[in-house]
Amino acid sequence: MTVAFFLNEKTPYVGDTSNVLLDWLIIIGGFTLLLGVVSILRVSAQAIQRKKEGWPFKIATIASVLVMAIPSLLPVSWSPLFGRFEGSIYDWVFVNLQAPMMATMFATLAFYIASAAFRAFRARTAEATLLLLTATIVMFWRVPIGEAFLNLFPGDLPYFINKFIMNGANLAVQRGIIIGAALGAAALSLRIILGIERTYMGRG
Amino acid sequence: MSFWKKFNDMDRRWVYLMVAVTVIIPFLIPMKFPVSVSPEARNFFNAVDSLPDSSVVMLVFDYYPSTIAECEPMAIAGAYHLFKKHCKIITLSNIPYGGPSMAESVTRRIAAELGKEYGKDFVNLGYKYGYVSVLKGMGVSIESIFPTDNRGTPLSELPLMNTVKNYEQVKFVFEIADNATADYWVSIVNAGYGVPMGVGCTAVMAPKFYAFYGAGQIVGLLGGMKGAAEYEILLEKPGTAFRGMDIQSLVHFLIIGLVIMGNIGYFVTKRGKRKTL
Amino acid sequence: MSGIEILQIWIIAFFTLALFSFLYKDNPFYKLAENIFAGLTAGYQVGLIWDTIIIQKMWDPMVSGDKWWMFIPGILGLLMFSRFFSKYSWISRIPLAVVMGVTSGVFLTTQLHGLVLPQMQSTMLALWGNQDFVASLLAVVTIVGVISTLVYFYFSAEHTGILGGTAKVGIWFIMISFGAHFGYTVMGRVSLLIGRVQFLIEDWLGSFRHIF
Repeated sequence: MTVAFFLNEKTPYVGDTSNVLLDWLIIIGGFTLLLGVVSILRVSAQAIQRKKEGWPFKIATIASVLVMAIPSLLPVSWSPLFGRFEGSIYDWVFVNLQAPMMATMFATLAFYIASAAFRAFRARTAEATLLLLTATIVMFWRVPIGEAFLNLFPGDLPYFINKFIMNGANLAVQRGIIIGAALGAAALSLRIILGIERTYMGRG
Repeated sequence: MSFWKKFNDMDRRWVYLMVAVTVIIPFLIPMKFPVSVSPEARNFFNAVDSLPDSSVVMLVFDYYPSTIAECEPMAIAGAYHLFKKHCKIITLSNIPYGGPSMAESVTRRIAAELGKEYGKDFVNLGYKYGYVSVLKGMGVSIESIFPTDNRGTPLSELPLMNTVKNYEQVKFVFEIADNATADYWVSIVNAGYGVPMGVGCTAVMAPKFYAFYGAGQIVGLLGGMKGAAEYEILLEKPGTAFRGMDIQSLVHFLIIGLVIMGNIGYFVTKRGKRKTL
Repeated sequence: MSGIEILQIWIIAFFTLALFSFLYKDNPFYKLAENIFAGLTAGYQVGLIWDTIIIQKMWDPMVSGDKWWMFIPGILGLLMFSRFFSKYSWISRIPLAVVMGVTSGVFLTTQLHGLVLPQMQSTMLALWGNQDFVASLLAVVTIVGVISTLVYFYFSAEHTGILGGTAKVGIWFIMISFGAHFGYTVMGRVSLLIGRVQFLIEDWLGSFRHIF
């Protein structure tokens, strides 16, 4: 894959081989996702068998997996309720159950962040005070009334915030983090290719 | 002194209740505060607006249903803008949970409104596992990665895909993401194949993308619901994001107020402790 | 609004409120919703992988004769399931090695070419001779910020002397960036809540009008 980067993708053998490997990655990765499904079924079945705490809810878990999985595997030609597309059980359950529940799970974070900000956000040190002040200014700047409030002060504060905080200090730090993380990822990739790093296989 | 201690030790469920009430109020009393447009959103809009008619654009749905409130308004505004400009849209997703379904729902709805035809004006490629393979593979041949569209129709049967083989025919990538796949679009597609792109992302991710915007790797940036509202304003089609800014305003003020009160309480109780010592 | 649509809205509202009820206290409704959600998420994968990967990427190319060798990655994928049998779990290292090898090969070049080089290039800014004073000031802020941030995260040497001073400057820049990040995060989380409350007020409470 590394050699293929430096060669034209239409190069015989190398170009073709890299495309084939990319296809293989998609297929192997797909089977890896199915591992998670088998795992959740195993764990839930064990919890029911051993009557662990909350075991009746594990019946709901297994039932949910089967309700989603089985109709999606059956051919659409048998019934429009089967398959994955609009009008199927799979699509109905996704749109009316899974997607709203996923959205709700994340929506509760708004409450937690408000509570965390109230209880833990303290100006204990100079650095913490700077973080607090910047957060407050940005929270004002990102909403209409806040921006109107900032415009009451002399000078073009919203312009200053955008130019020097977001496109200035923030940009510089994020750039530093991106460069550092990318160098780390490249170094790790080299270590894996050279066989120095084998922790992903479960040994040092 | 005891008031501040009691206030700081308040059960967190009272904070939850305050947030809930603050979110509900603007639904009962709409306020419609004016929304200003940032340079990042304006540049994004101008980049799409300056595309020649009939340009092929990839509209990428790389977000989970959990962030639909932030990302879907961007997708709707983007699809509307692109269809109005008679661009040909190829949608795809690197997100297994509903990416293709969301792409179908948004594009078909807007296409029906503007009289666009599936297969000729837009195509939904669906999802394939392994975004690294997908992004690199499409550089050689889109058909090698997506042999059929999301519904199983071979690409050779779709008139639009007969003219688009790989990134060379794609004029712009309109990426909407709530996760790190946006980084890979930038590092693999933009850096490797030179396809111009703009990113609409959740507010959590937006600060990071200022670095890509500053480096010219993306032409514009829409950050969170505010970014979506800005695009709606530029499109002169205010939607759910614009309406949501009222509520954002009030909740932000609530949280700022709580943080200030919490800090006042902290310093007052800390001074009280020092005096008793 | 038809009866089916109203039923759909009420089902969504039930599970939404069940999940929100955790904010007050853990309860059986929340546990039920949570377990159903976990099951649906897992079950969703099955249909998707079967259709988009096993049929479209593997079976159809094999059967059509174009890519008869596609059974090989299929076998490699099946070998991943050996992880469930402790005696044979070592076999799963083979497909894992293929995945890690391909991904590492791609990352080695794309991370450097796509991220490091463009970001470094745009940091090499002129400190004077710019169009105006603001541009020059911004260039100074950017260069000092990038260098001090990189120095702060360099832990191979002790942060003393010049290195320590630069790292200290880096901390200040990082605090500003993380403050901005927190502000944006609050905005992001609130947006997600707005979406759900919008549904509860407009769709669910709106359905009462159609029922009564």
